[in-house]
Amino acid sequence: MRRPTQPQTPLERLQRWFEAPQPIERLELIRIVAPLVLLAFLSSRLVHADHWLSPVGFRVPYLGGHDWRQPLYLPPVSPAVAWLVAIATALAGLCLSAGLLTRFAAGAFAILLAYLALADRLEAFTVSKLGPMIALALWLSPCGARYSLDAWFRRRRHPEAAPPTHVAGGVIRYFQIFLAAMYSGAGIAKLRGDWLSGDVLWSHLHDNYQTAISWFLVRSVPGWGWQALQYLSLTFEVAAPLWFLLPWTRRPAVVVALSMHAMIGLMFGPVIWFALLMSTLLVGCYAPERWLRRAFRADPAA
Amino acid sequence: MASKPGSGKPDSRKPNPAPVGPTKIDGPRLVQPWAPRRLRQVAAVLAGLYVFAVWLDAAGNGAADAALPLPLRFFVQEAALFPHAARDVIEWRAEAWFCDGERFAELDVRPYFPIRRDDKESRFYRAMFFHLHQRKVLAELDRFIAREQNRTHPEARIGGVMLLSLRIPIPPPGTPETRYQRLPLADYPPSVERHYWYVTDKAQREQRCADLAAGNPTAEPPAPSESP
Repeated sequence: MRRPTQPQTPLERLQRWFEAPQPIERLELIRIVAPLVLLAFLSSRLVHADHWLSPVGFRVPYLGGHDWRQPLYLPPVSPAVAWLVAIATALAGLCLSAGLLTRFAAGAFAILLAYLALADRLEAFTVSKLGPMIALALWLSPCGARYSLDAWFRRRRHPEAAPPTHVAGGVIRYFQIFLAAMYSGAGIAKLRGDWLSGDVLWSHLHDNYQTAISWFLVRSVPGWGWQALQYLSLTFEVAAPLWFLLPWTRRPAVVVALSMHAMIGLMFGPVIWFALLMSTLLVGCYAPERWLRRAFRADPAA
Repeated sequence: MASKPGSGKPDSRKPNPAPVGPTKIDGPRLVQPWAPRRLRQVAAVLAGLYVFAVWLDAAGNGAADAALPLPLRFFVQEAALFPHAARDVIEWRAEAWFCDGERFAELDVRPYFPIRRDDKESRFYRAMFFHLHQRKVLAELDRFIAREQNRTHPEARIGGVMLLSLRIPIPPPGTPETRYQRLPLADYPPSVERHYWYVTDKAQREQRCADLAAGNPTAEPPAPSESP
């Protein structure tokens, strides 16, 4: 490959940054873990697919097409079709994670997740909205080129071919930018809400999301501690693009974000799947290359 | 994708085609995307718009709301999580009109909503949370609960429901309290405010009970299934 020339214009520099090769472990980590987290989130629904998607369970009637609570009316399907959708979703997610027929699995998973998110607003949460986007990005990427069953079969057919070590940067850059924007937007929403002066964290620890850990913290953390945690979250989230942009703040930002998600996951019951999904993207996008290579036991000299 | 370097198809319209297989770049072996360059360019633009819309929506700018149709808007409304403090813990409950006793009593509806039945991701909680002001949805909920109760418990038939919320005050930070547990309605003290959002009409309750007594549980027509 021709050695790249120095970029001239800001646009060329941006394009060069966007397309700069990234360690393939970043992409493959997201490809392996994210579908499993999405399936784990869906599992409590998939096992009741008939109650979810068919008239066996309660269904919100058609609301006229202009109601934000029903972004798209999709009529219920028969129980048999509901079970087929559930099985297809599980298979697509597992194949994507294992890297078997990766591209097809990613495309099918994206379509099925989008259907499930729109088919029933009552079961749609943030994870439901993130899922199709992640699967679609994986479909467009060359994920599965390594650490996958597809790669294993390819290696058997062509033992002389060395495995790839890097991937064109686009999809990783996209996830990186998305995370920074997501945190920043969330931080601004909190600033405009009650996070500066209200007891937001405390107030959400008393309902049926409460876990043994959140109850322990309710009893042991003083009132000012919750306010301090709110300020820490705000500081991290509002300025997240800056923390992730600067090399010397990137690693502390990853640690703060992972700690924040750990607390969310441990304190708010089923929100653990959202916390794990965000943590997966975070590690895949921003964890130091050395950590990732060690996790995959990849040869650093490759 | 991991074929020999340089084995990819050349793009006749581009002077610098991207190889499909791993490419040697100063040691590392690069795997190129399978998607054609034009598709990737379109995807990059759409991805940029999506990220911008997510950020705008969370930041409180209404531009994405105004520009996007409902199904797309739904997918960008995902970053503004828990911006406000809860004033009270909200519990959603149901009381049913039991035909035999001709009285209202609490009905545990969790068995009829088995998906995450014990927390606020339950379909009953979500339906009440989103649609508490929409009588059409609450009437459908009434029909569904009555159908399931009368099907599974013919010995305790019901003619209708009252759907209500409880507002349980949240103590100030640092106040010692007991762990959350679901209590029967009767065990909540008077300080817990109750708000009734829906009650089945008296005539409808009596009609259902009469139909059930006559052995005709399906006399009531199903909900009108309007569709776009």
